[in-house]
Amino acid sequence: MVRDLIDAIGEQAVVWHDEDLLVYEYDGTIDRGNPDVIALPATTEDVIALIRIANRYDAPVTPRGAGTGLSGGALAAKGGVIIGMNRMRAILDLDVENKTALVQPGVVNLDLGAEAERHGLAYAPDPSSQRACTIGGNVAENAGGPHTLAWGTTTNHVLALELVTADGEVQWIGHETRDEPGYDLVGCVVGSEGTVGIVTQVLVRLVPRPTAVRTLLAVYDSVRQASNAVSAVVASGIVPAALEMIDKMTIAAVEPVLNTGFPLDAEAVLLVEVDGPESQVEAEGARVEGILNRFEPREVRSATDPEDRETLWAGRKGAIGALGQIMPNYYLLDGVVPRTSLPDVLDGVYEIAERYRLPVANMFHAGDGNLHPCLLFDEREPGATERVLDAGGEIMRLCVDAGGAITGEHGVGLEKRDYLPWIFSEADMDAMKSLRAAFGPTENFNPCKIFPKGHGCGEAGHQHAQHQIAKFGPKAFV
Amino acid sequence: MAEPETADLTEFHSHFDHVDTDSALLQRYEIDGHTPQGALRVNTIGDIERAQSAAMRQDFAVIATGGRTMLGLGMPPRRYDLALDLSGLDQVVDYEPNDFTISVQAGMTLAALQRTLASNGQFLPLDHPRFEQATVGGICAVGRGGLRRNALGGPRDWLIGMRMVTADGTAIKGGGKVVKNVSGYDLPKLFAGSLGTLGVIAEVTFKLRPQPASDQVVALHADSFEQALAASRAAATAAPFLNGCVALSERAAARAASQGADILDDRPALVLRASGLESAANEVLASALAAARSAGLEGEESRTPAIVETWQAIADLELGTPAAQVRLRIGLPPGNLERACSLVDELVPEVNSRVAAGDSGLLFLETATVDAETIRELRNRLGPLQGRLTIESAPLELKRAADVWGPPGPGVRLMNRVKEQFDPNGILNPGRYVDGI
Repeated sequence: MVRDLIDAIGEQAVVWHDEDLLVYEYDGTIDRGNPDVIALPATTEDVIALIRIANRYDAPVTPRGAGTGLSGGALAAKGGVIIGMNRMRAILDLDVENKTALVQPGVVNLDLGAEAERHGLAYAPDPSSQRACTIGGNVAENAGGPHTLAWGTTTNHVLALELVTADGEVQWIGHETRDEPGYDLVGCVVGSEGTVGIVTQVLVRLVPRPTAVRTLLAVYDSVRQASNAVSAVVASGIVPAALEMIDKMTIAAVEPVLNTGFPLDAEAVLLVEVDGPESQVEAEGARVEGILNRFEPREVRSATDPEDRETLWAGRKGAIGALGQIMPNYYLLDGVVPRTSLPDVLDGVYEIAERYRLPVANMFHAGDGNLHPCLLFDEREPGATERVLDAGGEIMRLCVDAGGAITGEHGVGLEKRDYLPWIFSEADMDAMKSLRAAFGPTENFNPCKIFPKGHGCGEAGHQHAQHQIAKFGPKAFV
Repeated sequence: MAEPETADLTEFHSHFDHVDTDSALLQRYEIDGHTPQGALRVNTIGDIERAQSAAMRQDFAVIATGGRTMLGLGMPPRRYDLALDLSGLDQVVDYEPNDFTISVQAGMTLAALQRTLASNGQFLPLDHPRFEQATVGGICAVGRGGLRRNALGGPRDWLIGMRMVTADGTAIKGGGKVVKNVSGYDLPKLFAGSLGTLGVIAEVTFKLRPQPASDQVVALHADSFEQALAASRAAATAAPFLNGCVALSERAAARAASQGADILDDRPALVLRASGLESAANEVLASALAAARSAGLEGEESRTPAIVETWQAIADLELGTPAAQVRLRIGLPPGNLERACSLVDELVPEVNSRVAAGDSGLLFLETATVDAETIRELRNRLGPLQGRLTIESAPLELKRAADVWGPPGPGVRLMNRVKEQFDPNGILNPGRYVDGI
C-alpha cells in the first residue's frame, strides 16, 4: 500500500518510518493512536487517489489537520492511513462584495481572520487554538470559540464544501447563499468529525468587522458572584460578542507567566466584550459595566484600544498553556449546560475535583453555558490518569443530568464515544448511522469515533468509560 | 409501483378515534389536484409513531401538514394517501426564559410562539409569510431564510434540537436543549429543509434572542423598481448591520399597503429596517438612508410605529396572490441581484410584481407570461451568477415541464442516498423534492 501511495502522490509526501510516525500519534487529548502511514496530499485529486488506494487495501483512513483537536478525532484509532491536509493551505478567493472566502482546508484559522481583516471583514469562529488549528479541522469539529456567543459556531459560517466522500467520489455541496434546493448536506458534514469524507475546499461566510469593540474585565471574590453577573448580563437583553470566565486556579497559573495583574486571591475574573457600531458599543459597554458593578466586583477594567484589549484577553487566551506551571499534565473537558444551571454545575465540578483530589482550573464560555473544567495531574504518579478519567466521566454525567450535553465544541471523538448513549437512544444513534451510511463505506473512515463500540476499536482502552457507565447508569434523558 | 385507486384506511380507523374521509374536508389538503384518502389530526408524538408505523406496513404515502401556507411548494406528489395534520400539536414543551431556549411542538404557529416569547421580552429571529397560520414544524421542513436572511439566517441557524418520527414510526431526536452542542451528527440540520421527505418533525427547540430596545422601519419612495433596487444595494453596502433592506415594485408595494403596511402606497419603494439600542439603530439607519439618497432616492421618508404589521405585510409578499400567476424565487449572492433583474427584464416580457432583498440576495417575481423554455433559459443564464431559480407556484403543466427545483446540483447523488437510508419505500411526501425525491 505504501508503494501505491508513493506512486500516487510522490515519495516526499508519504511518511512511514517509525520515528517519523511518532508525531502523528498525538492530538490535544490524553489518548494515543498508531498510524501505519501518513499521506500528505496537495490537491483534491491526490485525496481521491489516496482514499481509493486505502479502500482497495481495506485500510482505515483518518483525516487530520493541525492535530490540535481535544477529543481524539485525528487519532488513527485502528492504524491505517492518516491523510494530513496541511499542504493544502491556500486562500483561493475572497469576495468582498458578497462577503465570502474560498479556502483550502489546511488554512490556519488566524490566517483567514487576518486576510479578512485586510478587507474590513472577519471570520467569526475563533477557537483558542486559532494560531495553529486549520479550517478543515474546524469544519470537522464544528469549532466554536469565545466569539461564537453572538455569531454562532462554524456551522453558521460554512456555505459550501468540496467533499471527497468515503467512497472516493468528489462533489460540491451547498451554495453561496444556501439556495441549492435539497438537503442541507453542508449542515450534516460540518461537525461530523471526519467520519464521512474529507473536505478539500471550503466556502465560508465572512461578517462585517465591527467598527468599535470594548472589552471589560471584572474581578470577583466568589464564583457565585461572577456566575450571577453572567446571568444578569444575559438576561439584560444585551448579546455580548463574548462572555468568558476564569477561576482562581487559572489566575494562579497565568499571573506569574503573563503578568495579567490579576489579584491572586480573587476567585473569578469575567471578560465581556461588546462590539458593533460606535454608538452601540458605547451604550452597551456602559450598561454592561453597570451590571458587573452590581455584583460587588473588586474592580472593573475596560479597554477599547486593540493593544489594551489584547492585554485583558491575555489571561484567557494563554490560560491552557500556563497550566503547566501547576502540574505537568491536564485533561480538558467540554461540557455544556443550560445557562441557568451554570452556578450549581460549577459547584458540582469543584466538589467532584476535590473528592478525586485533583486540582481543577476553569476557563470557559460562560455566556453559552459551555464549561471547560481542566483537571490537573501528573501522569507519572501511579493511578493519576485513572483518577482523572473517572472524575472527567463524573463531570460529564453532571452536565448531562443538568439537561446539558457531553460536548459543546470539542467533539465526541474517541474520548467521549462511550458517553453518547447518555444522551441518545439506540434509535437516535441508528438514525445518525443511517446518515453516515449515505456517504459510502464509512465503517473504516475515521473509525472508532463518535459512536460507542465498533469492531476492532480496542475495547480494553475504554474500560474506564465502561466503568463510568456502570457507575452512573446507562441513560440520562433519552 | 402502481398507484392504488383507494387506500384501505381500516387500520387507521382501528387505531384512531377519528380519521377524516369527508371529501369536502379533504380539499383543505389538496396539492396540485391530488387529495388524500384520509386526514388524521394527531395530538401526541405517539400518534405520529402509530400513524407512520401503520402507513409503513400498508405502504401509504404520507404528507405531514402544519398551517398549509407552503403545502403547494414542490412537484406534484407521486402518491398521496394520508395527510398527517400536526396543527393540533401546538403546545410549549419546555420554556425557561433565562436559558434563552424554548421547546415547542411542531404544530405551534410562529405567531403563537412569538407571543409567548414577547411576554418575556424575547423573540425567535425568523420571518415567515402568514405567520398566524404557519407552524414551526412547517417552517423548519421548508427550511429557508426569508427576506431578512442576511441579518437573521434561516431556521437551521436557530434550531438546537428536534424530535422526529421516521418513516417506519420510530421516534428519534437530535441536538439537545443547550445553545452550543456538537454531540453526535446534526440531525436537526438534516431535517430542516427536507420538506417532509425524511421523517415527520414533531418537536423543535430553538435558541432565542432578547427583543431589541429599538426597532425602526423606514420607507423611501422611488421612481422605479430598478432605482429602489440600486438604492437597496447601496444601503446594504454602506450599512452592513441593517436588519432588513427590501426593494418593492409598484404592485408589490400596493399589495403590502393594502395588507397593512401603512408607509407604502402604489409607488415603488425601498424599505429599511434597523434594530438594536436606539442610538445604534439610528446610526445604522442614518448611513443606510444616506447611501440610498446618494443612489438617487429623493422622495420623503415615511416611518411607522406599526413594525410588526408592516413587516408582516412585506413578508407575506413571498406567498403572493392565489390567482393563477406564476411565482418565481431567485436566490443568489446579493452583488449579482441587479444583473439577475436585467436578465429577467430581457427574457420575461411582463413581470407584475417584484420584491428584492438587497442585502440577502433574494428576488421574488410574479408573472403570467412565462413558459418552460423561458425558465430553462433563465436558469442557464443565472448559472454564472450563482443564481438558483425555484418555481414557487405555477399551473401543474408548467411545474412538470420546467421542474420546480431545476436541474439537480452536484450534491444530488448524496441526497438520493440519504433519502434511500431514511425512507427506502418512498412513502414520505414522495416525488415532490429535488430529482423526484
